Amino acid sequence: MGVIAMRRRGLYRAVAFLAAAGLVAGACGGSDDSAPADTTEESSEEAEAPAEESAEEPAEEPAVEAGDEAEGDVDTEVIEEETTIEYGGSVSVGLEAEATGLRPWEDSCSSPCYNMMIAVYDKLMEQDATGAYAPYLAESITPNEDFTVWTMTLRGDVTFHNGVELTAQTIADMFPIQQAGAAGSGAVTAANLVSVEATGDLEVTYTLSQGGSAFPASLARAPIGMVFDPAAAAADSEGYSMAPIGTGPFVIDSRDLDNETTFVRNDSYWGTDPDGNALPYLDSISFRPIPDEGTRLDALLSGTVNAMQTLRQGTIRDARAARDDDGADITLWEFQGNNLGGGMYNVLVPPFDDVRVRRGLTHLNSQEQVIEALGGTGISLPATQWFSPDSPWWSEKVAEAWPQFDFEGGVAFLTEYINDPERSDGKAAGEMIDVELSCPPDPTLIASTQVVEQAYTATGLVNVTITNYDQQTHIGIALGGENGFVGSHQQHCWRWSSDDDPAVNLNPALAPPTAEIAEAAGLAGVVSPLNFPNWFSPTAFQAAVAANQTDDFETRYGLYESIMLEFADQVPVYYSGHTATAIGTDTNVLGLNSWHVPSGELGIGFPSAEGRWSEVFIAS
Amino acid sequence: MGKVIATRLARLVATLLAVTFLTFSMTALLPGDPVNAILGVDAVRDPEVVAKIRADLGLDDPFLVRYVNWLGNAATGDLGQSYITDQEVITTISQRLPVTAQLAFMAIIMALILAIPIGVLGAYKQGKWQDSTTSAGVQVALSIPNFIVGIFLIWLFSVRLGWLPASNWNRISSDGLVENLKTAILPASALAMTQMAIFSRLVRSDMIATLQENYILAARSKGLSDRFILLRHALRPSSLSLMTIIGINFGALLGGTVIIETLFAIPGVGFRLINAINQRDIIVIQGITVFIATAYVVINTIVDLLYAVVDPRIRKG
Repeated sequence: MGVIAMRRRGLYRAVAFLAAAGLVAGACGGSDDSAPADTTEESSEEAEAPAEESAEEPAEEPAVEAGDEAEGDVDTEVIEEETTIEYGGSVSVGLEAEATGLRPWEDSCSSPCYNMMIAVYDKLMEQDATGAYAPYLAESITPNEDFTVWTMTLRGDVTFHNGVELTAQTIADMFPIQQAGAAGSGAVTAANLVSVEATGDLEVTYTLSQGGSAFPASLARAPIGMVFDPAAAAADSEGYSMAPIGTGPFVIDSRDLDNETTFVRNDSYWGTDPDGNALPYLDSISFRPIPDEGTRLDALLSGTVNAMQTLRQGTIRDARAARDDDGADITLWEFQGNNLGGGMYNVLVPPFDDVRVRRGLTHLNSQEQVIEALGGTGISLPATQWFSPDSPWWSEKVAEAWPQFDFEGGVAFLTEYINDPERSDGKAAGEMIDVELSCPPDPTLIASTQVVEQAYTATGLVNVTITNYDQQTHIGIALGGENGFVGSHQQHCWRWSSDDDPAVNLNPALAPPTAEIAEAAGLAGVVSPLNFPNWFSPTAFQAAVAANQTDDFETRYGLYESIMLEFADQVPVYYSGHTATAIGTDTNVLGLNSWHVPSGELGIGFPSAEGRWSEVFIAS
Repeated sequence: MGKVIATRLARLVATLLAVTFLTFSMTALLPGDPVNAILGVDAVRDPEVVAKIRADLGLDDPFLVRYVNWLGNAATGDLGQSYITDQEVITTISQRLPVTAQLAFMAIIMALILAIPIGVLGAYKQGKWQDSTTSAGVQVALSIPNFIVGIFLIWLFSVRLGWLPASNWNRISSDGLVENLKTAILPASALAMTQMAIFSRLVRSDMIATLQENYILAARSKGLSDRFILLRHALRPSSLSLMTIIGINFGALLGGTVIIETLFAIPGVGFRLINAINQRDIIVIQGITVFIATAYVVINTIVDLLYAVVDPRIRKG
């Protein structure tokens, strides 16, 4: 179908997350016009260096290099599409849920609604194939020395669907709405963003309360990064959800909640492909929420829709079987990202406050069996850290340090705790420990929970109680807003990580979980409700802070590796496998893996089954 | 008759009070904070926003205060506004009710088309192989959950034969009746299966009793044909309890299509209810639950009253 022009391996590691450095270099290298090109060149040059070094000195070749494509899971590839593009046609996409709303500043958005939002809104930044942040609706962005002030230049001649011109003042006017928005307020707080000013017609200055080298990541996410018309939003916020106005490749045509939302081609779209062809290629795209995984796949196989997304390993397995065994004419665009399943221990609750219990239970976690129960055999590999082997942040050292499945080893740790007269749960020495294991009531999650339960029970040392609450309740229990964000959970299923910069997900999870802990650590006022395991390590926290204050990849890599090593030692969390996701399409729907950022580089692809639809076309 | 109506209305009010209180209590007892669902996990770190939303929604008020406030509004037809979509609950219901009602109506009609001949045949051929065969078939239909039927129908008619769409809903207003029926036929069939089994068993048993009545024997002695006797003399009196069950089941289907609507991604009341539960959108959960309970109770009350109208013994009793 196409020729592999770029894989995430090799190149990925060295280039990834040099966005800030590249952008600085771009700014230093010349005018605004040349900045993006300079940025790319700079990144590419740096990318080649480590590869050459390793070719000359292959002394200790690890089994898997960070950024390598791992064996036994899905292959993630972005490629240049060779088939001649064609204009016209419609794509109908089956989504796993309806979007809660289509307002980036207001509506909490996950993968399904992101597919819809990205059709109508452009983001200021995007991730390219290497994972680096590249200007998109922005033309360039440069930080000051301590990363507290970021100056962004916008692309010119961009208009909203209602004809309003995009200017720097637009971005500044978006800020108060984002600050007050249900989704935006948290993102603004997380980014330490205190002001957004128009300092020129197309120049915007962002000021942060503390340095953040990963700030461009915030501009690549919906709450701050997606650009909307602030005047229209202020005039009718609720109406905006039904009739969103962006600068994106598609314009809203109709919205039938819970049934179908249709967007049509934006004939005035600013974007072009690398050959200068106007985007988008499609005449229209519609999205249909089909929550049942089986029905969604059947809808694709029957032609009811010609594309569908899934975040379930079992559905990928079934779709592969339909394609390979039944000859279904479908393409599976699979993506192995950093996102991973597993869970956490609430370390403020006995017996999980004792690391021997956490280590023991983690050793009893047979990841291979859990992955099999999840339907992920041959799709996902056991995880050892927040980064998949495809990621530049992946560490061989961490992989070796992670407590693997070891039944006898697990029993030994638990026995030591149980026989300790000073054990933290207040029980008498020799008594079994009590574990409440909670997961949302998804069939595959229940099956995987039963695998864990069987292992625990087989030790004769653990009384297991399994609870299942719906997703929102499950989250609420762990969040625990009513008890100072300590939560009432014990062992709790959870998902970790993403393909964003590690600072986005990891840093908030390492801050002190309560005011008392923060005060004791001399960090009064620094509290994160997103530290769900309630595990606080001053060294890990300081490493995370330091990683957000430098743009040197090797330094940042070392800091995040040290955090992951501490996780392997203290095990506040445990893992099953990295979550493969997929978008399935008819075989004539092409282009999902070959969209570009404006500089001409390939984009990141379709992480979390979130497609970018502007360069999708239907081949005749 | 007036006393009957008054009694029924009193029961209706009591039932609705019980349903609303139980629904309110159960949603309030769920662990976790609904604000999390509104804001998303990332956003709860801003305590000011959390506090504002809690205040706006009255979530800081005691349970009984919230319940009484909600009940007062509901009594005036104001079921509140979705936390998530900002849409009025009454608008949400009114947009989705026609879809669910159409499914329920089609399911009932399809069930009757099959159930009446099967029931009549079973009664007419009582104890013979035709009766045994239809009874066994009805038993199977009764024992298979409708979502299993739905999955099978999708596999057969969508994936294998490619005749009908696997999911979603074509609206009559925008797509026309034929396209609408293409999306309605499979979910309605899945719902109809159980109804058909219930109806046919009822018709069979009622008709067996009717066929033993003296006037049927008299008709037979007059030399009337079996077909004439069955359809003109036996079926009508045997349909009284069927009418009752049709009414009750129609009411139940308005709230009982949740699984089928979710399976087929049909934008009806049930699908919205499931989404509201997943989003912890308590106001919508309460509103739809109350609506379903009201519909069920009202339809039952109407059927009871009609029954009383049709059968003088009940009216006088």
